[in-house]
Amino acid sequence: MEQFFNDNMYVIDLGEVNSAPEIIFMLSSALDNEESRNKRICLKLGNVNLNQAQLLSIKSLINGIDSTLSSIETKSTETEKVALSLGIIVSNISQENATESAPAMPYKLAEELKEENQEKKEEEIQEEPTEEKIEDNNYDIVEEIQEEIVEQKEVEQTENTVQEENAENKIEETISEEKTETEPIHDELDVIFSSSPAQKTFYEMESTHHEQNEETNELNDIIVPENEYTKEDIEIETFPTKYIKQTIRSGQVINYEGNVVIIGDCHPGCEITAFGDITVWGVLSGIAHSGAGGNQKARVRALKMNAIQLRIANCYSRRPDSLNTIYTEKTNSFTPEEARIVNGEIVVFKIND
Amino acid sequence: MAGRVIVITSGKGGVGKTTTSANIGSALAKNGHSVVLIDTDIGLRNLDLLLGLENRIVYTLVDVVEERCKLKQALVKDKKNPNLCLLAAAQTRDKSSVSAEQLKKITDKLKKDYDYILVDCPAGIEQGFQTAIAGASEAIVVTTPEMSAVRDADRIIGLLEAAEGIESYKLLINRVRPNMIKSNDMMSVEDVENILSCQKIGIIPEDTGIITSTNRGEPIINNEKSLAGKAYINVARRINGEEVPFLDIDQPKDLVGKLKKFLSNLKKQGKEQ
Repeated sequence: MEQFFNDNMYVIDLGEVNSAPEIIFMLSSALDNEESRNKRICLKLGNVNLNQAQLLSIKSLINGIDSTLSSIETKSTETEKVALSLGIIVSNISQENATESAPAMPYKLAEELKEENQEKKEEEIQEEPTEEKIEDNNYDIVEEIQEEIVEQKEVEQTENTVQEENAENKIEETISEEKTETEPIHDELDVIFSSSPAQKTFYEMESTHHEQNEETNELNDIIVPENEYTKEDIEIETFPTKYIKQTIRSGQVINYEGNVVIIGDCHPGCEITAFGDITVWGVLSGIAHSGAGGNQKARVRALKMNAIQLRIANCYSRRPDSLNTIYTEKTNSFTPEEARIVNGEIVVFKIND
Repeated sequence: MAGRVIVITSGKGGVGKTTTSANIGSALAKNGHSVVLIDTDIGLRNLDLLLGLENRIVYTLVDVVEERCKLKQALVKDKKNPNLCLLAAAQTRDKSSVSAEQLKKITDKLKKDYDYILVDCPAGIEQGFQTAIAGASEAIVVTTPEMSAVRDADRIIGLLEAAEGIESYKLLINRVRPNMIKSNDMMSVEDVENILSCQKIGIIPEDTGIITSTNRGEPIINNEKSLAGKAYINVARRINGEEVPFLDIDQPKDLVGKLKKFLSNLKKQGKEQ
């Protein structure tokens, strides 16, 4: 049995195993591994024919450790049929293919999230009557629904529909239920803002943002279940910070074992590698790798995110091919963006004012 | 399988080496051959942009040489054509990072698995050029019908003749403007051939579509209307050993020109009969 990371997925290879009970036994021992928690899992199966009940139990086994069964790979056509009927993706990701083609998923953008959320919202409206019952019974499902509501709220703050008001009420209830410590992002922004010489002008802005930020921070906590104030956050905060005030041009490399703050643009072809966060006060168009020492909580933020590739810790993503703007126009109206890891994927969030 | 290693070089910069590499590579791959493009212009890489693969590059030629990754891992597959692979150059290093022997090792390895290995050579005659031609057995010299480009091409041909391993070289004349040749403002294709006394493998007309295709990251051979695209496809077929007549690049765009041409063709036919 082999276990390894591939394309932001955690692959468990059970190709050698020949019977269904053995698969479940091997899988459960594989899932004991800490590494497999909170991941998108890809299962490699051999010739074994699995029926619907067996596949379902495998799926629930994986869901039990906060992971999701992303796709399976199988040689048996019967298993493939059953998997398709259950809505599980059947793929052919062999190790060789994946190593040949370069980085995996294009990073998700806020707009895409919005679309996804709209779809989810529609589904949710249909499910609404049953929601209350579930809330009493199953905590996990409630959490999922909360995620959806929260994401919606983040993106569609301006829209005021009746449904959303309902949703908002629910969020408030749930927030009071599970109070977690505030997100590090705000603290970090504090640090950045307070270290700025024009403190007073920023202070006003900060105070107006304060309430909203606090709210979204708490919401973020719900999006990423593991998003608590951890050692990793403290590590980032205690890192030394390098301050660079120049345009980073093609071919220039910045390597630092700490946080990096760049006042200026980062042109395509440059590479920035940092053990902590990367903050660009300008357009980021090169390659940025934050958390290069393995810190999963590291972030990349920029006034305009146009990075060719984003890498955070051991995840990496490339710019979507649809975004074919190599050089961005310089305007005065930027929406700052921030990339972080959400469920093993790099997602770019817009920081709305 | 023993693949052919072809270096695309010119001496002078800006004559279209990289465009030629991208288009011939894509055309060969489109015809069903397996092709690897190697960008040896370390520090000033552009081939990835032309193919629109910039965002997919993780490992580069320098990483392979310094053994940070396997050769297969560094090959980036093309978006449209799985037969085409790119081995990109590093942007953050310089030409001294790869030596001639190291590149020869890589091309020898690739020869076993692929039909064609096209090496995009950097401008100049220094170390970068010497590295690029190391593993190659054939060369395509790109030039434009300008005195400076022709002079540099002459120098390059001299160096290629002196180099070990280069068995044959062909001339590709790029950015030809029939109108200017007619009004005697530009050297004709025949003139260039005579000066360099070298067999030609293709004539590519000037095409504004090249600029758009470069900016979009799509080779122009995918544009069926483009004359330059057709010319590149013909070059690829000639490389493969087919006999393809040279394209008539003098194709007027306006109606009067078209009529004139039609009439003159009729006259020619009449004389022949």
